[in-house]
Amino acid sequence: MELGLLRLATLLYLGATFDALAGIAMQRELPRWLLPRLLLGGLAVHGAAIILRSAAAGHIAVTTFAEALSFLAVVLVAIFLAVQARRPLVALGAVVSPLAFGLVLAADAAYSGARPLPPVLHSAWLPVHVVLATLGDAVFALAFSASLLYLIQERRLKTHRGRGVLRHLPSLETLDRVNYACLVWGLVLLTLGIMSGIVWAHEAWGRSWSTDPKLVFSLLTWAVYVVLLQGRMTAGWRGRWAATLTIAGFAVIVLSLVSVNVLALGNHGKAF
Amino acid sequence: MEQRTIVLVGLNHRTAPVEVRERLAFGNGRLEPALRELIAVPGILEGAIVSTCNRVEVIACGADAAAVGSALPAFLAREHGVADPALATHLYTHADREAVRHLFRVAASLDSMVVGESQVLGQLKEQYGVAASVGASGRVLHRCFHKSFSVAKRVRSETGIAEKAVSVGSAAVELARGIFDRLEDKTAMLIGAGAMGELTARQLLAHGVGSVMVVNRTYERAMDVARELGGMPVPFDRLARYLPLADLVIGTASGEEFLLAPPLVDEAMRERRRRPMFFIDLAVPRNFDPAINDLDNVYVYDLDDLERVARQNRTLRGAQIGRAEKIVEEELRAFMAQAHERDAVPVLARLRAHGEAVARMEAERTLAAALRGLDDRQQKTVRAMASAIVNKLLHGPTARLRNEAGRGPLAEAAAALFGLEEPSQSQPEAVVLSLAGNG
Repeated sequence: MELGLLRLATLLYLGATFDALAGIAMQRELPRWLLPRLLLGGLAVHGAAIILRSAAAGHIAVTTFAEALSFLAVVLVAIFLAVQARRPLVALGAVVSPLAFGLVLAADAAYSGARPLPPVLHSAWLPVHVVLATLGDAVFALAFSASLLYLIQERRLKTHRGRGVLRHLPSLETLDRVNYACLVWGLVLLTLGIMSGIVWAHEAWGRSWSTDPKLVFSLLTWAVYVVLLQGRMTAGWRGRWAATLTIAGFAVIVLSLVSVNVLALGNHGKAF
Repeated sequence: MEQRTIVLVGLNHRTAPVEVRERLAFGNGRLEPALRELIAVPGILEGAIVSTCNRVEVIACGADAAAVGSALPAFLAREHGVADPALATHLYTHADREAVRHLFRVAASLDSMVVGESQVLGQLKEQYGVAASVGASGRVLHRCFHKSFSVAKRVRSETGIAEKAVSVGSAAVELARGIFDRLEDKTAMLIGAGAMGELTARQLLAHGVGSVMVVNRTYERAMDVARELGGMPVPFDRLARYLPLADLVIGTASGEEFLLAPPLVDEAMRERRRRPMFFIDLAVPRNFDPAINDLDNVYVYDLDDLERVARQNRTLRGAQIGRAEKIVEEELRAFMAQAHERDAVPVLARLRAHGEAVARMEAERTLAAALRGLDDRQQKTVRAMASAIVNKLLHGPTARLRNEAGRGPLAEAAAALFGLEEPSQSQPEAVVLSLAGNG
């Protein structure tokens, strides 16, 4: 049941991906109607799957690699739709949809049964820490999407090819603004995520958490984004350079997600 | 009367890059002396020069088409001090019917970089005016150019290409939309007073750009343009100081040197904290050093680049362009037939005029005397019958005269038979008009 729902969500995200790509290939305005609705449908089905799984496990279902990937996808789609409701940026969906699709596909591949949570980690900190950290990652994924579009759009404008096929992409200024907003929000969430993790680890294990690889990666990510924010605020970094750094920061996030979980490093890889 | 063949030699945005076009352009001051040089060339009887951002064309006529055709490239090379062979690869030559067609298409904006834009017609009229005022153009070019103006008018009123004109300005607006989030809080800077620049500034303002600064070497001119656009004039020597305030910079200043080079723009970018700048270079020769485009967050587009962008939008109007081309062909056919008849068989025109006069006179006399009381429709029938009789009678002779093409025994015989003596003096229109004006 829950796996079936997950697969249905995968199909809906795939549909959204095709819709976005078809829109670009046919040079029409990116679908304002279908794409958000496909993603909304995906979000509902996907959310239901996670709720079912969490109910069965007795805690929020984020303790296996597959669960973490699936949770990240659902949060990413939710944030995109929330932003989309305030300001239509359908073009971002052209990156968000394949990202969500890829994440749930990976979740499906890594799918495993629920893993019992060590009693020491049964705590109210679990949902707080996980939701904050995942929100941070998802916001940075959105910043990555905007930056990717920025670099594409910027290249076309620089090389005088006009906007052509991608004429319905948002303006550079808009994308840069999205990047900035995501940077600020992402940093706030990441900081809170790291802090909540430290507090929780301290409560659970005392001091044994300080060399956890996940924490090292998170601090590295944090440093990249803090430098970027600092540069933006004081040195007027923006545009291509800001987009490139944003993508670099996101690469660290992906690296951390993959290495920690696949290689089962530290508490995030081993304990759950 | 001797035969005059029209020959057109030129280059445009399709055959020559902007670097070549800017070298060959005839600036405002150079047009008159160049026209005088042109008609001093042996074998050239009339001449005109069209020089816009996108084309330089010399139109001349003389008795020997081949001689004129080879004299024109040499003339262009000499005027600009360019090597003849280097030029040759960019030049096209049209003679006679093709030359007229080309002129019609240029006037109708079908040969423009941005099809349907209306600026070229104004430039054509202005530059033909110069040719007429220095006495370079004569009867043949006069007819050609004036016909081209009316063809352009017809194309514009009967097809939609002008309204939907995706002009250079619209291409600039579209690109600005790709760079800037909203235009309302943006400031444009217009450098120079070219017509194209002013139009583009107007278009940007119409699409929401918040304000505009106008820079000109002559401050009075800057004030005039600023007043018209509702903008702020800026003295030329303050250009560098005000540059950081501009988000969009339009260049239409004349001059051989770049007005803005990378170091100056880099300085401005630092001052504006690297917020993006969009440079629109409409001048030929160009105002902005293309190397500026290499700076971060700076986008420089020259006319050729805008053309490429506009071309992406142009296919939409293919049907309208087809209709416009059809009008040009139709007018060309009529014009050439008329010219052919006029030049080849002058007797023919007089014969036809004579016949028409006789038919009209006889019909009116009959209507007035014997057929009073006929209603309008019946009167019309009588008149039509009279001219039909004349036309039938003249059909054979006119066809044969036309085939004879030129002065031959038949033409002389016809003149003698019908009593059609050539008018003692045939004055070109312009001269007649000026005499009337003096009297």
